[in-house]
Amino acid sequence: MPYHLFKCSESIPEREKHAVIKGEGEDLTSALPLGYLNTIPGSISERGCAYCGAKHVIGTPMKDVIHMSHGPVGCTYDTWQTKRYISDNDNFQLKYTFATDMKEQHIVFGAEKQLKKNILEAFAAFPEMKRMTLYQTCASALIGDDINAIADEVMEEMPDVDIFVCNSPGFGGPSQSGGHHKINIAWINQKVGTVEPEITSDYVINYVGEYNIQGDQEVMQDFFKQMGIQILSTFTGNGSYDELRGMHRAHLNVLECARSAEYICNELRVRYGIPRLDIDGFGHEAMAASLRKVGMFFGIEDRAEAIIERESARWKPELDWYKARLTNKKVCLWPGGSKLWHWANVIHEEMGIDVVSVYTKFGHQQDMEKGVSRCEIGALAIDDPNELEGMEAIETLEPDIIFTGKRPGEVAKKVRVPYLNAHAYHNGPWKGWEGWVRFARDIYNGIYSPIHKLSLLDISKDEIPTNVGFETQRMLSDVNLSDEIKNSPTLREYSGKYDCLKGLREKTYPEYLTKKVSEAV
Amino acid sequence: MDEVTKDRIEQLIDYIMKKCLWQFHSRTWDRERQNENILGMTTQILCDEPVTAESLEDKCYWVDAVYLADAYKKRYPWLTGMEKPEIKSLMQDVKKRLDHLTITGSLNEELNDPLY
Repeated sequence: MPYHLFKCSESIPEREKHAVIKGEGEDLTSALPLGYLNTIPGSISERGCAYCGAKHVIGTPMKDVIHMSHGPVGCTYDTWQTKRYISDNDNFQLKYTFATDMKEQHIVFGAEKQLKKNILEAFAAFPEMKRMTLYQTCASALIGDDINAIADEVMEEMPDVDIFVCNSPGFGGPSQSGGHHKINIAWINQKVGTVEPEITSDYVINYVGEYNIQGDQEVMQDFFKQMGIQILSTFTGNGSYDELRGMHRAHLNVLECARSAEYICNELRVRYGIPRLDIDGFGHEAMAASLRKVGMFFGIEDRAEAIIERESARWKPELDWYKARLTNKKVCLWPGGSKLWHWANVIHEEMGIDVVSVYTKFGHQQDMEKGVSRCEIGALAIDDPNELEGMEAIETLEPDIIFTGKRPGEVAKKVRVPYLNAHAYHNGPWKGWEGWVRFARDIYNGIYSPIHKLSLLDISKDEIPTNVGFETQRMLSDVNLSDEIKNSPTLREYSGKYDCLKGLREKTYPEYLTKKVSEAV
Repeated sequence: MDEVTKDRIEQLIDYIMKKCLWQFHSRTWDRERQNENILGMTTQILCDEPVTAESLEDKCYWVDAVYLADAYKKRYPWLTGMEKPEIKSLMQDVKKRLDHLTITGSLNEELNDPLY
């Protein structure tokens, strides 16, 4: 077994089975870390809790909803605006955070009255909002507050509102993944099938497991609309509460995340006979494959091919410009969840970057199966790492850059390794052809930023060089490139707009006659 | 099994592992169904046999199978030079290997969990 025990974890021998090095000739039957188990006491993990997973990751991207946490105000701290789940609803769900502010007196005497008061106040403060999600927390669950009863009471008094109850207190699972699971299944059980949607196309999909980080959903939505496909709902990025109640009428579930998002698709398959197709939205080849597959399913692959041809021709020369400058750079791919496998292979193939380590904080062994099989030989795979293990890995592997969340990212910065926020991109969207070039540009900017070179100096002991003049990223990145690449007439830097989403929301799309209409004609 | 066949199986498996997602559904019952249907249809396509996709679910298998067969033909020119019985035999071995990696030999402890 190629298990790897970190030096810093020698006093926690159980940790050995949570890390493996993918060796030559080894496969998933010998190299797979344990995963999705309770964090080992003494090993301080970077995980979020089940409430965080339910509210922050899955629920909050819904755009036309008052998201109310029933608990201490502190519970909302870690969920407030830490991800850039934007929406075309003026970002309501990002701008406002609601909590019932439970205090000691509520723990002693119960907080149901407080909850009802807060619900009514929130609806009164935002009268245009008629939908709410109520999230249980550890505090309110432990004292047994019946939030379902309060929700029913309010809905009886206010027939025009609808409330979804998400019973996923923080202790409801080993990590945030437990919360993903609970909210997904609760949504299927409580809400799907309670609204009949208007069907406007012959080709109707649910887009599941997409959270619209920096506009990713809107990029994909644009492609689907160009193909004449109706997105009945997106679960949950830029998604509307009532659209998500009508998921049962789609013809196909297009799935782009893992695990809990799978459960919702599997349930839709069992209950409503809607099949599921797994896709990848990151990377040029993966994007092309995804659109091609969805197009083939509906028999409209020509529409997909037209997009693929146009987008590839437009963006490939720019991706290759970055590839020439990023080849053989090393990355620790530590994104937390599904991006470890979304990116592990495609970064290597399309940008030339070597993935020297993958990790997941809350993923299951299934996520690691995908990650380990997609990364190259020699990569270190870690489940639920603690901060010291992360530091040791950085010192050993010496990556040129890290893709991770802001907490471990800030730690990496202290040892002068640049990082990109893989949870909430700095300059996304990163999906689609253009998005993938933007990602390459951000990696390039991170690795070759002259400021990082300066930060490697320790001014307390290093001599500050005075013979080095002004340096640009280009001077640093091109120093070893051939003239052929440096002066290539075809390769070019990213030439898209600063805000590549601008215009998408007002865009008009080709109108395709539906079968009903065309038959009538 | 000769070395050439072993090498070819590993090439075909490597493509699935790096580029596909369908082989990693969350439970054994799901993986068995995916591997069986998609690799079965891929074999039929590679052997120029007609594929019937009657249900919507079959259509999803068919989509992944068409995509895989196309990729195999483009990446592995030796495949197009093989006789149909040879392709069938090779694809059976690929399925055995994939079943081993993702189901029977898998270290994933959640594969047989009866609950989500």
